[in-house]
Amino acid sequence: MKKSVERIGLGCLHIFFLLICFGVLIPIFYAFSVSLNAQNSILGSDFSFIPREFTLSNYYAVLFDQPVLLWLRNTVILAVASVCLSMLVAIPGAYSLSRLRFRGRKKIVYGLILLHSFPAILSMFAMFRLLTPLGLINTRLGLIIVYVGTMSIFGLLNLKGYFDSIPIDIEEAAQIDGTSGFQTVMLILIPLAKPAIIVTGMMVLIFVWNEYIFAITFMTGAGNYTLAAGLFSLQATEMSGSWPVFAAAAITVSLPILIIFFATQRFMVSGLTAGGVKG
Amino acid sequence: MNKRKYSVLSAWLCVLPALLFIGVAVLFPILYTGYISLTNMNIFNWFTFQIIGFRNYINALFVFDSGFLSALGTTVLWTALNMVFQLVIAFVMASLLNIKKLRFRKLYKTLLMFPWAMPGYVSILLWRNGMFNSQFGLLNQWLERLGHEPVRWLASDVSAFLSSMVVNLWLALPFMIMIMDGALQSVDKSYYESAKLDGASWFTCATKLTIPAIRPIIAPAVIITLFTTFKQFDVIFLLTRQPGARTGANIHTVLTFAHENAFVTHNYGFSSAVAMILFFLLIAFSLAVNIRTRRAVR
Repeated sequence: MKKSVERIGLGCLHIFFLLICFGVLIPIFYAFSVSLNAQNSILGSDFSFIPREFTLSNYYAVLFDQPVLLWLRNTVILAVASVCLSMLVAIPGAYSLSRLRFRGRKKIVYGLILLHSFPAILSMFAMFRLLTPLGLINTRLGLIIVYVGTMSIFGLLNLKGYFDSIPIDIEEAAQIDGTSGFQTVMLILIPLAKPAIIVTGMMVLIFVWNEYIFAITFMTGAGNYTLAAGLFSLQATEMSGSWPVFAAAAITVSLPILIIFFATQRFMVSGLTAGGVKG
Repeated sequence: MNKRKYSVLSAWLCVLPALLFIGVAVLFPILYTGYISLTNMNIFNWFTFQIIGFRNYINALFVFDSGFLSALGTTVLWTALNMVFQLVIAFVMASLLNIKKLRFRKLYKTLLMFPWAMPGYVSILLWRNGMFNSQFGLLNQWLERLGHEPVRWLASDVSAFLSSMVVNLWLALPFMIMIMDGALQSVDKSYYESAKLDGASWFTCATKLTIPAIRPIIAPAVIITLFTTFKQFDVIFLLTRQPGARTGANIHTVLTFAHENAFVTHNYGFSSAVAMILFFLLIAFSLAVNIRTRRAVR
């Protein structure tokens, strides 16, 4: 008797979770099915989640009628440059802040925490005004400097937090065995900190991929747009009917991020929480 | 001694490149924002601005019509409501996910992670165009089928605020559920068995046992979420503004307020003053949180 009550309860729970998961995913399902639907019956109320007539023409339109490939190129250049540069400065910086003792170290850490609480949007106008006379508006270099600067703070704090959680004994043992300081970092600390380094790099990549407000403010002309800025400009307004194309573009842009997210998900918790800051 | 000097030098050399980037791209613009906030810079006197002291600050803080105080009020309400809903829903969901003998737990968790994994601005624009659009949005299609008039969800303040909240919860809940789930798994199961033996109800278990046990574990994540909710910009900006125009609703969080004053009405001095006030607020807030958590640790 008790067992069957339990079984009914678990069955209800499964139904509950299936409904919740379906409900949560509705906006994505809807965009997906609209992007694949040939009958563009967007004004009809006979909507179904499975497209009646299957087509890839919206994806074709996204890839070839819109400058999406150009935007993709811009985004990839920006993302690769930002990830490489910010990791190049953040790894040694975090190592120094975590392992080396020098005067001013604590002050730097506190300063970074304070700066981390400042939303970059609030100083966007000042940045704009400072970059204009330098000729860095409408160039990739200007955006890269902004991205690397803002994400270096996150990188330094997150990596420092992770380095702090690695016991120093291993490095000391290695140094007694005769490795130099540089060798210790390359052979021991960096391999041990791999989850944090991967997650931090991914967060920078995702940040650049998803960043639209600086990209539309600092870049003019559709040729210079990133994917995010381009998608922002593509969006359907209340009146226009470009919603199926927009849906296809949205799915296309999201796919790489979804793949990266689920590929690095197992590192996500340990790589993010040890540092105590979230992007 | 020489060796010590060398090691200090190398420590600074390691951290300097990062500090240089941060100085140029973050610290200097903040200082410059502070300078602009003391001037009457706007679109008409781009070069001929003058220093006017703290008048912008006085306008923001003491002139109610300036809109800053009401934006601040909206933001506080927004943060409070979002946090309450997030904590309650995430707690219930995580508790249900942790019920013994539940199969397919992993599948449900993965599906529930999707809103977190999607690029944020894409999800917001999908919500706006797919769900809330007054002509071909799904919500209005459903309403029409039920025989109701279509609703313009984003056209009035209250419904736009509620719509933004739904989207924000949709975006933020996966992270919170995951944190709660991890915290619940760390609670020692033997406590529950002895509580059960003592005849404790589910509710007593939750309030007297689970919540005190998970509180220190989820505290950092809750504080981080508190800050990100207060600093939320994308949801309200992308839902209520379309390129060049508004959807009709006139709701502001502090961040969209500062952005509009800088890039729409071109009142740079005032916008910078708002930015500096927010910066000081955030610093004070994080210092208070730091002191409290440090006390709790001791």
